[in-house]
Amino acid sequence: MDSEETTQVQEPAPGPKRLVRSREDRVIAGVCGGLGRYFDVDPVLFRIGAVALVLFGGAGLLLYLAAIALVPDEHADPSKRTLPQRGLAIVGVVLLVVAAGSILSHGPFHLWFAWPLGILVVLGLGIWFLIAADRSSGASVRDTGQRLLLGLLVLVGSAVIAAGGAWLAGTGNGTVAAIAVLAAGGALAVAAFTTRSARWLIVPALALAVPVGVVEAAGIDLHGGAGERDYQPVSQDQVRSSYRVGAGRLIVDLRDAHLTPGDHPLKLRVGLGQAVLVVPNNVCVATHAKVGVGQVRSFDRTNGGVDVDWNNQPATAGTNPRVVLDAHVGMGQVLISHTSAAAFEHRFRLRFRDKTTIVTNETNSGCEVSNATR
Amino acid sequence: MERRFDVASLVAALGVSLLGLLVLLDATDVIRLRFAVLGPLVCATVGGTLLAMGLTRSG
Repeated sequence: MDSEETTQVQEPAPGPKRLVRSREDRVIAGVCGGLGRYFDVDPVLFRIGAVALVLFGGAGLLLYLAAIALVPDEHADPSKRTLPQRGLAIVGVVLLVVAAGSILSHGPFHLWFAWPLGILVVLGLGIWFLIAADRSSGASVRDTGQRLLLGLLVLVGSAVIAAGGAWLAGTGNGTVAAIAVLAAGGALAVAAFTTRSARWLIVPALALAVPVGVVEAAGIDLHGGAGERDYQPVSQDQVRSSYRVGAGRLIVDLRDAHLTPGDHPLKLRVGLGQAVLVVPNNVCVATHAKVGVGQVRSFDRTNGGVDVDWNNQPATAGTNPRVVLDAHVGMGQVLISHTSAAAFEHRFRLRFRDKTTIVTNETNSGCEVSNATR
Repeated sequence: MERRFDVASLVAALGVSLLGLLVLLDATDVIRLRFAVLGPLVCATVGGTLLAMGLTRSG
């Protein structure tokens, strides 16, 4: 009796069904094959669905990427894919989803994305560091110290490269900066094939490329020096056609200029900072303002965000003079007001969403009412 | 079969090169680079690189 009991071998209880990416039935990464096996359905149906989702809105592509990151490979050794590695892949997928969402929605890339995305990128880099630490867990304290020092050097070097690239692009050397970015991309590609550990080059390459791209996209021009420039012409003859400051604050106060009836073209250029135009109540202002990142505030109207292009061309009322303003601020604010105090009151209070709102009781009072309120 | 290149570095290289090309075209007034293009491209580059890092091992 006892011997019978000991010879009986119990069948191991089947474990829970696992969703894995199939190795045998795969077209790209085995996601649909794995789904077919899991749900006991022909995987072709999942493939048709995935292709349809890719074609109609692109969601299929994002879901497929997410599945690659989250669903383990059929024969994958669980010890090889660490938790930090999976975290890194998830952060990557989130960033890709945001990128694809921005493109597919045809909407503007909102500035408020910057903070959460920045945090995500830092999180990704932290996880990367964890992975590197995990891989060299057998390393001595001296090795760890050397690795930390190298990481610090790469970060400091990247900050210097970022500042240098931004300065180069902002001082009219965009072509040189672009060639430097292309060279960095090329060097990274060569290193990917020739060096076993080329990944540390990614951070300085991105540190160069991203600020250069931001400066070019914002149209930041740092020519014209830095600081605060306050112009208060006391006659029309003193009013110049163009004012410029590279970084800082530019105030052109025309309240004492006694402008004559007719159009008065005026250009304001600020690379980084604030451009302020102050006009008396009887002067109409027609505005075409471009701001890379920031805000345009024209009397009672505000428009802010990225790629701001403000165009308001009202007709003047009666014989009032009209200032035809062409303003360009790379990063910062264009402010048009009847009072210079508004410049201080609203300095750098940027709104981070693209929408127009009424913010004060000021109006473009020198213009015809129907146009001025636009 | 052992892979002979680092996918993550290659993805980053592709993204950085594309950024450089767009900046070059903008600097030479061929196109007007806007944040609507730059933002998603930077996101895709960083996201693709991190995804590749998460799915592959360096060296």
